[in-house]
Amino acid sequence: MSHTQDKSSAFSQGVLVFVYLAVLTLLEYFVAVTFNAVSILVVVAVIKAALVMYYYMHIYKLNEDSGDDQHSDAYKTGTNRIGLWLFLLSDAFVFAGLMTARINLLGLTRPHLNQLLGLAVTAVLLISSFFMNRGETAMAHGDKKGFFINTLITFVLGLGFLFGVVAVEWPLAAAEGLTPSSGVAGAVFYMMTGMHAFHVFTGLLFMLVVLNNARKGVYSAEKHWGVEAAAVYWHFIDLVWIFFYPALYLIGKLL
Amino acid sequence: MKNSSPARGWLFFAVGLVAAYAAGVGLVYAVSGSLTYVHLVPILLATVVSATTLSWGASGFSPLTKGFLGLTLGGLAGYGLGLVIDLLVQGSLDWVTPVASLFSLLIGFTAFFLGVAGLNAVSKGLIWQIIGTLLGAIFISVIRVAMGLAWSGPFLFTEPAWVLGGFMGVLFFLAGSGSVSDWFKWARGIDTPEHHEESHTGWEKYLSISLDHKVIGIQYTITALFLISVGGLFALIFRTELAASQLQFLTNDIKLFGQSGPQLYNTFMSLHGMIMIISILLGIAGMMNYAVPLLLGAQDMAFPRLNAFSFWISVPASVLMLMSLILGGFDTGWTGYPPLSARAPVGMQMFFLGVFTAGWSSILGALNTIVTVLRMRAKGMTAFRMPIFVWAAVATSIIALTATQLIGLAFQLVMFQRLLGMGFFDPAKGGNPVLFQHLFWFYSHPAVYVFILPGLGIISELLPVFARKPLFGYRWIAMSSMAIALVGFLVWAHHMFTSGMNEYLRVPFMYSTLLVAIPTGVKFFSWVATLWKGKIWAPTPMLFVLGGVVVFLLGGLTGPPNATVSTDLHLHDTYFIVGHFHDTIFGGFVFPFFAALYYWFPKATGRRMSETLGKIHFWLMTPSFFILTFGMMRIGLLGMRRRIVDYDPALNFDATHLVLTISGYLIAISVLVFIYNFFNSIKNGEKAEGNVWNSRSPEWQVPSPMPTHNYDQPFEVVGEPYDYGLPGSKYVEFITPVKSGQK
Amino acid sequence: MGHFLVVGILVIVMAVFTYIGLDAAGLMPLQASAQAVSIDWLWNWQLIAISFLFSLIVVPMVYSLIVFRRRKGETGDGEHIEGNTPLEIAWTVIPLFIVLALAYMGAYSLGETRRVDPNALVIEVKARQFAWTFEYPEYGIVSNELHIPVNKQVLLKMESADVIHSFWVPEFRVKQDVVPGRVTEYRITPTLIGSYKVRCAELCGSSHAYMESPVIVDSNTDYTAWISTQEKIAAEAAKTPEGQGERLTVRNGCIGCHSLDGSRMTGPTWFNLYGSQVKLEDGRTVTADDAFIAESILDPKATEVEGFAPTVMPPYPLTDAEIANIIAYLKTLK
Ligand code: HEA
Ligand code: HEA
Ligand code: HEC
Ligand code: CUA
Ligand SMILES: [Cu+2]
Repeated sequence: MSHTQDKSSAFSQGVLVFVYLAVLTLLEYFVAVTFNAVSILVVVAVIKAALVMYYYMHIYKLNEDSGDDQHSDAYKTGTNRIGLWLFLLSDAFVFAGLMTARINLLGLTRPHLNQLLGLAVTAVLLISSFFMNRGETAMAHGDKKGFFINTLITFVLGLGFLFGVVAVEWPLAAAEGLTPSSGVAGAVFYMMTGMHAFHVFTGLLFMLVVLNNARKGVYSAEKHWGVEAAAVYWHFIDLVWIFFYPALYLIGKLL
Repeated sequence: MKNSSPARGWLFFAVGLVAAYAAGVGLVYAVSGSLTYVHLVPILLATVVSATTLSWGASGFSPLTKGFLGLTLGGLAGYGLGLVIDLLVQGSLDWVTPVASLFSLLIGFTAFFLGVAGLNAVSKGLIWQIIGTLLGAIFISVIRVAMGLAWSGPFLFTEPAWVLGGFMGVLFFLAGSGSVSDWFKWARGIDTPEHHEESHTGWEKYLSISLDHKVIGIQYTITALFLISVGGLFALIFRTELAASQLQFLTNDIKLFGQSGPQLYNTFMSLHGMIMIISILLGIAGMMNYAVPLLLGAQDMAFPRLNAFSFWISVPASVLMLMSLILGGFDTGWTGYPPLSARAPVGMQMFFLGVFTAGWSSILGALNTIVTVLRMRAKGMTAFRMPIFVWAAVATSIIALTATQLIGLAFQLVMFQRLLGMGFFDPAKGGNPVLFQHLFWFYSHPAVYVFILPGLGIISELLPVFARKPLFGYRWIAMSSMAIALVGFLVWAHHMFTSGMNEYLRVPFMYSTLLVAIPTGVKFFSWVATLWKGKIWAPTPMLFVLGGVVVFLLGGLTGPPNATVSTDLHLHDTYFIVGHFHDTIFGGFVFPFFAALYYWFPKATGRRMSETLGKIHFWLMTPSFFILTFGMMRIGLLGMRRRIVDYDPALNFDATHLVLTISGYLIAISVLVFIYNFFNSIKNGEKAEGNVWNSRSPEWQVPSPMPTHNYDQPFEVVGEPYDYGLPGSKYVEFITPVKSGQK
Repeated sequence: MGHFLVVGILVIVMAVFTYIGLDAAGLMPLQASAQAVSIDWLWNWQLIAISFLFSLIVVPMVYSLIVFRRRKGETGDGEHIEGNTPLEIAWTVIPLFIVLALAYMGAYSLGETRRVDPNALVIEVKARQFAWTFEYPEYGIVSNELHIPVNKQVLLKMESADVIHSFWVPEFRVKQDVVPGRVTEYRITPTLIGSYKVRCAELCGSSHAYMESPVIVDSNTDYTAWISTQEKIAAEAAKTPEGQGERLTVRNGCIGCHSLDGSRMTGPTWFNLYGSQVKLEDGRTVTADDAFIAESILDPKATEVEGFAPTVMPPYPLTDAEIANIIAYLKTLK
């Protein structure tokens, strides 16, 4: 698939990638419930991550030539892009640290959680990424209305995810005796989901800002760095969940 | 006598000192009924009042005088307010209560900046920080009351209240000082100009939000110098206690800021460590901010607003660090190992929060530096034609950008363990205390290379200038910085050889640690080869460069004994380690930092610092420092543990410790000489507008001080940076020639 | 060539003098264990390496500063030498070998210190703020002094009751942290009869500096004698309540903080405590009777003794009978 496409093929590429991701997620789920194979989970997560980074986050754009004129907008966008990716790299270390803590403290066991709910919120987040991609693509092709609708859907789904984790999953888990102070399992669970939820929250704020600015007509097909940044950040949050979901819900025996 | 003069200043100083001291003693007598001459109240009162009268006498009713006046009055007002609050809450008066001291510190500090320059970014920020802190704390307290929990604790509020308060304080500072207002405008869809016109000229611009990297670099540098003084002052306090065995003044009976003497020792010692480390981070950020864009030929950093943000967030971070001293302190060392840190007083939380905040300053600054180097180079400046300092800056930034997150996370986990009972490091809940050490050192080892790489870059940058010879093996030196940075990620567990971690990990970590010696060695050998057959001259910056090389060599060479596991089993947690790292830090940061300050001072101000005072600084500091660390290492080997307030007299260390304390004071005096020289030269230094050091690098090809817009004419790189001794060679060429600037 | 020759000779001379100087400075404490031998052996090689490498850098540096200095009135630049690849490779590869050799020696000497004697004498060590307790499971002895026989390997199994401590006897060289939630091991073969001190090497709180206990290496006869006296003491103590109380204070490490002779330590002294008037932080005065002492042990935060931090002493959930025994013991401290 090449990168310079017309709008409809870009859209259908988004759909295709989404289908891959959805299938892989289901695969992951069934692997986990039928037999205990950490290696498969790791491989699947890595493939999903690669798909998201390439097709949704457009990592290849880092390589794009933005000319020599340091004062041109293209050059500045190129600079911003590097800045954003470095920020994500830095942020990734927090999540990697949380993963390390989880592996060290829980090993090949996992807390008792509601599997269906986990799958549901994962699906919601994945779908939101799909719509985010659609929104960004629309803007890149000057379709402001498409951008607005798709991003609004993303926002609602994101809110749904946040609600699912914080307002449904947390109380459910606590009711089952998994509280922050009940032991390491609880500590790890709440800290990982909490840090992720915090990022979701900031991603939603970012999206609101972008929506508002779009409403004011700040962005155009040529100049929409804010939209791109919000999208890449949102996909990054999804990327983190791609690893956190198996780490919390799927890997290992029940405690 | 004129209305204001130095002599008058000293006269006023003496009068103020005596009067305030007497007043303080009288006050204490009136209240407590006992006549004590060594008491904190008269001493502090005498210090601030005499500073005020000194400034008044010397310079009349100048901004500084007003600042000191603000400090005195604000401090007193805050103290009084704290006492009243205490009286209302506790129903009793306690003269050394943390609450009064806290208000005294915060309000005094704020009033100082108010006095100096009215409502500027700092004073507005500080006012908002106080408001934010109180709001956050009250918010939690209200919730607690609603839940039927107690709202007040030993330090007025409960711990969760202080944590949220501290956090909100930082946010309020940022919003109140105006360092994020452009971003808020962007969020609302309002465009802002690329660069604001400076609203201030002269020194006031350093107290306001500026987007100019040169201003920010200097702001960083001044803040770093301030923190070095504070950290050094703490060192002097606890070194005085160590001058002899037994407890001298930090005894069990005193109670200050809610701490007994030994606890206070631990707090001072721990804060000394961390404040110094933060000052290093700010110091290197200062050097990188000032020098990197100039060396690259860039107009500014890639993200000027982010740059300002990175600096300004370090100010509330420093305030939090000082708050931790007052809110009960903590007794864990700068490493903050749990479970001890999970039990320490509230001060621990302020410390964690402060480091966390300062960490963001470091991360974002690093991000900015990398992007600047990638995107803002002048025409023709290929990777291997960049000044060598830029390589060091990139290597440092790679570490700071990524690893810093891990210390933040480690501290965050302990904070939540304390707040919510999460059991990460609590064995009773299945947690693992050693995990913390892994997370902590994953940052804190690479961090030591963050400290030194820019310093070593300065050494490599300046040696050719003063040896009048090309830098020997430029590419090797550039690559060695990267190698140190990357290998540095793989060695962290050498701090944990005795920690009870998995035994089999020790040997691989020994190998990886020792490998760092190789790229470091490449630097040393190349430096020697650079000096060889040069035409060496040694003004002050070069003296500090040379001193740095030797001191860092000593520090580096004492690394391998720590790195080989079996010897480390003896050396770990002794003064040998303390000696090792003071050597590496002084050699790798402090000496080169001073070199850089002496070197670029004319560029920033258009004046020179006094050469005589510079030499006095050097010749006082260097021998004292050698004695300090030799002594530390010797007693360390013989059995002196780290982090102890008192040592067994049977060990016969008293004499050595006395010498160490004296050396510490001598270093402090030399630093005071420097500080005097620095500020005095800004006004009275000898004019120096040209290429003072006869250097080839671009910033010296234009007149000093550097204009606000760096290079009126952009330049193009046409040759190698360090071709000294090659007739006719040129490094840069201005695209349309500039007139002034020699050679 | 002349320059190189002079510098070469100076480097060797300076290295030798540096090493002799460092060696003469007497940098290591007494060598009192078999493990110390291999550590000191490595340390000696480290000193040699340090002396040599230090001279290797500093001598040519100082030489250049003197010989190649810019003389009065000189202006020009030095020679234009940009680098020398073979030289760079040499000073990358040679240190690599030195480093590998050092690491190999390090691993070897680590192996020596870890040599296991299956018949080692096992002693259980309990570390707590701020006291060491040693239990000899074979004999049922509890003591605050560590007695060990000379020339026999001892295996200390160490546990911490609260925070991280570190077991270090400088004369034995080896050091090992004591971490809550796990048992760490420490092997030592003392070789020199004498009396030393274990010094806690990991910051563990306000009295970390004072967390020291005697470590006594006995001849075999002295050791057996000590064991039998201790056994007798334990047997005697079991007979009376105050004896049992005394054993309990040893076992729980109380004397890490409370002195028996009136001197001030982390906690208030126990000398003449029972029945005395205790001043509290809030100005009240109470009598140190049974109830007060029981409360001080079970919930030390409840009363704040003037001049002492109430958070330092952990609550000890002892039984009523045990507390009664401790009180009986306290009564004897006059
Ligand atoms: C600026 C900071 C800095 C730097 C650069 C270094 C550099 C090194 N450090 Fe240091 N270190 C600290 C700061 C630093 N350290 C601090 C702050 C601590 C204590 C933390 C705490 O607990 O509070 C510490 C502690 C510390 C320990 C833990 C000790 C313990 O607590 O038990 C160890 C162990 O391996 C160690 C090793 C090393 C090594 C091998 C290097 C190497 O990088 C040195 C390499 C340099 C050379 C070797 C010299 C030049 C080379 C040559 C001339 C070539 C030839 C040399 C050979 C062949 C050997 N350091
Ligand atoms: C930048 C790093 C840095 C610097 C410069 C220093 C500087 C000094 N250090 Fe520090 N030190 C550390 C980093 C540093 N240290 C660290 C990381 C630790 C470990 C902490 C831990 O274990 O947790 C440590 C620990 C440490 C110890 C061990 C404490 C213990 O284990 O109990 C000792 C003991 O002597 C010591 C001494 C000194 C002395 C005498 C100086 C002297 O050089 C200080 C000289 C004084 C000044 C530079 C200030 C001069 C200015 C003024 C006096 C003016 C004051 C005016 C105003 C405030 C306006 N340090
Ligand atoms: C970590 C140090 C520490 C240890 C260990 C310790 N104590 Fe204490 N103890 C203190 C301190 C400090 C106080 C005073 C503060 C207070 O009242 O809580 C104190 C107070 C007391 C008092 C009240 C004394 C007085 O003068 O009023 C008694 C009785 C006491 N401890 C008994 C014990 C017993 C029994 C043990 C062991 C089972 C023990 N302590 C272990 C530190 C310690
Ligand atoms: Cu126990 Cu230090
Ligand atoms: Cu290290």
